[in-house]
Amino acid sequence: MKKEGKKPKIKQKFNKGENISGWLFIAVAMFIFAIFTLYPVISAVITSFQKYKPFGSEWVAGRNYLDAVTSSLFWKSIKNTILYTAAVVPLSLLLSFAISVMILPFRKKTQSVFKALYYLPGIASGVASAVVWLWLYDASPSGIFNRILGVFGMSSQNWLSSSKTAMLSLILMALLSSHGSNIIIYMAALHGIDNTYFEAAEMDGATFMQKIFYIVFPLCKPTTLFLLVTGIIGSFQVFMNAYMMTGGGPDNNTTMVGLLIFNNAFTYGKYGLACAQAIMLAIVIAGLTMLQFKVMGDDVEY
Amino acid sequence: MKLRKVIAAALAGLMVLSMAGCGDSSDKPDTITIMVPPVTGTYVEDLNGWIEEYKVDHPNIDVQVIATSWDEHTSKLTTMALAGEAPDIAEVSYGAVGTYVEMGVGIDIKKYLSKDRIADYDQNALDYMTLEDTLYGFPLYITIQALGGNREMLEAAGADVQKIQTQGWTYDEFLEVIKNGTKDGRWGFVFANSGATTADFVSIFGVAAGISSNFTPDLKYVYTSENMLSLLQAVETMTTSGYMPDYSVEAGQRLVMLETGETMLTGKAMPLFESNVKKNIAGKADGSAVEGTIDMEYVFLPVPTMANATESVYGVVDGMIALKNNNTTEAHLKNVCEFLDFLCSGERAAAVDNAVYLSAVCESGRKAQESFTLDQSDLNAAAVERAVSKVIAPPAGITAEMNANAKTMMDETIVPKFQALLAGEATAQEVYDAICTAAKNLFGEENCASGWVK
Repeated sequence: MKKEGKKPKIKQKFNKGENISGWLFIAVAMFIFAIFTLYPVISAVITSFQKYKPFGSEWVAGRNYLDAVTSSLFWKSIKNTILYTAAVVPLSLLLSFAISVMILPFRKKTQSVFKALYYLPGIASGVASAVVWLWLYDASPSGIFNRILGVFGMSSQNWLSSSKTAMLSLILMALLSSHGSNIIIYMAALHGIDNTYFEAAEMDGATFMQKIFYIVFPLCKPTTLFLLVTGIIGSFQVFMNAYMMTGGGPDNNTTMVGLLIFNNAFTYGKYGLACAQAIMLAIVIAGLTMLQFKVMGDDVEY
Repeated sequence: MKLRKVIAAALAGLMVLSMAGCGDSSDKPDTITIMVPPVTGTYVEDLNGWIEEYKVDHPNIDVQVIATSWDEHTSKLTTMALAGEAPDIAEVSYGAVGTYVEMGVGIDIKKYLSKDRIADYDQNALDYMTLEDTLYGFPLYITIQALGGNREMLEAAGADVQKIQTQGWTYDEFLEVIKNGTKDGRWGFVFANSGATTADFVSIFGVAAGISSNFTPDLKYVYTSENMLSLLQAVETMTTSGYMPDYSVEAGQRLVMLETGETMLTGKAMPLFESNVKKNIAGKADGSAVEGTIDMEYVFLPVPTMANATESVYGVVDGMIALKNNNTTEAHLKNVCEFLDFLCSGERAAAVDNAVYLSAVCESGRKAQESFTLDQSDLNAAAVERAVSKVIAPPAGITAEMNANAKTMMDETIVPKFQALLAGEATAQEVYDAICTAAKNLFGEENCASGWVK
């Protein structure tokens, strides 16, 4: 009886003029989402079960997933990606936060100058900045970093071709060239903190570090969670740095999952395997994101 | 009723339009798409001229050129092919033919051309474009890749340059020369070994150990043989002894190092470098030369040969292949193959080969080259001719799958391990063991060579 009573109500609601206009408003976004996101995802899932060929793919069930999990290179690339993420994301957040706190006391115009300066590397194309970094990391004694080492009497380093320094070089590159957007978001969060908190803390005799730990950190937690989640997602998908700087070498020590997927798809033409690895990467990212929200997101509201 | 009339009128209109479209299609030119990187400095401009020339005799053909850079060419072509939208003709190196055949987009061009036309091309070069007895494209040239050096420095280091160019040299002689040539802050030998160029090092220097192809004549995977271990040990000796830099050298750096006297010998080197070196030295007058350029005579040299190995030179065939796409029809394929033949033969082939200082690999191309004189020393010309005669084509019977697996082995195991060897982080034996393990997993132990391969 209850069900019968509900049906006309829903229909009535749907037929209301404002609901139709609502559907119309989101229709464009839904259409774009369906064509450019939903369809590719569904297509990738289907392709991950096929040996893909443009003229007649072959159904191979879970073969691609089996090939992926039994490949030592796949696990090495996962390990490399986790290592890169574990170093880059927290350090990058910490640096961005520290820089934002240091910029905050300046006048608005000076703040804008600093924000623009830190955002500048983000405007340059990835390829152009990689070329500059290649020059800095030149392994010959005339390379910029090697000259600096030479000033201190240290021997030249084979920055990008030695397994001891290749990953470190990529991490350093990421740390020194990707703060712009984080700083702008942190600055917005810092401006949102009411001055009365600081005034009260000063009256209580709080030190600078106490204000940071007991006022700024807690009130910036939603921002930090947002930057952490997006940072980890971005870091797990990192591709350009390894592709341009090391090609994944030496001895696959800088092969990230993104680079491996790219190589399988566009160098070897193994679309099925690449899709299977991409789906597995998406599941890992989704799992990590859920974990972060579970651990940090309980008292965070957006 | 009114709505029905409108719909009926619209449908009728559409029918008329589509019939008109059908009527037009017979007169519509057949459009051939071709994707090329800058094979020579002026290739795209030359290509447009050749298209106009071709259209005079074939007014029903239209050609659309997709010009790419070397960097993006392979990935763009692979992506288009996987989407079923490959160009009808594309430039490829012979090693990549298997990838497209494996995708199911390769075309058996023999079906669409007469035997006379195919006979114009050298069989040795055609073999590179052939997989499982099927010819997928035509060669443009066999490019030989070996070593290049500074004559004066080499002779001062005890090398008999003329003898090396005309008779070859042993690995021991080579080692002695680079040892003597390493002095006063100068390297005896520099080989570009950064990133993807590591694969070049393995292939080009591999001939020193008698490795001229990924597979032996009985189709066993060659990099598990003792020849490979000897090659790795040779590289280990060169890097640890200080005759070669212990840091990675970018592809573009090697020629600069030769031109500025930072190295006596370099690789990979091509005959074309003679022209590059001469132009650079001439640039000293107007300031366009590389900073620190020295006067020198460039000599093209073969890779040395180890004891028990047969001398050969690493040759790569670059050419054009025909590809299948969503719009492919039999009539269209015939047009595609005829245009492909036109591009790879006669004056077109001669123009490309002259630009890269090589002899054409088809009779009509060689004929067209007769009137052209290269700015090349007699000794270098003789060395190039000798090197071309030492190129060994890959054995017949290699399947597309074997080719694709060999590429995977090279990219995922050999190159990364070789980089570790160059960086002094792995020994020759460790690298060899890792290669053997990976190869046996991929090809099966019975399909991997063992012992010394002659």
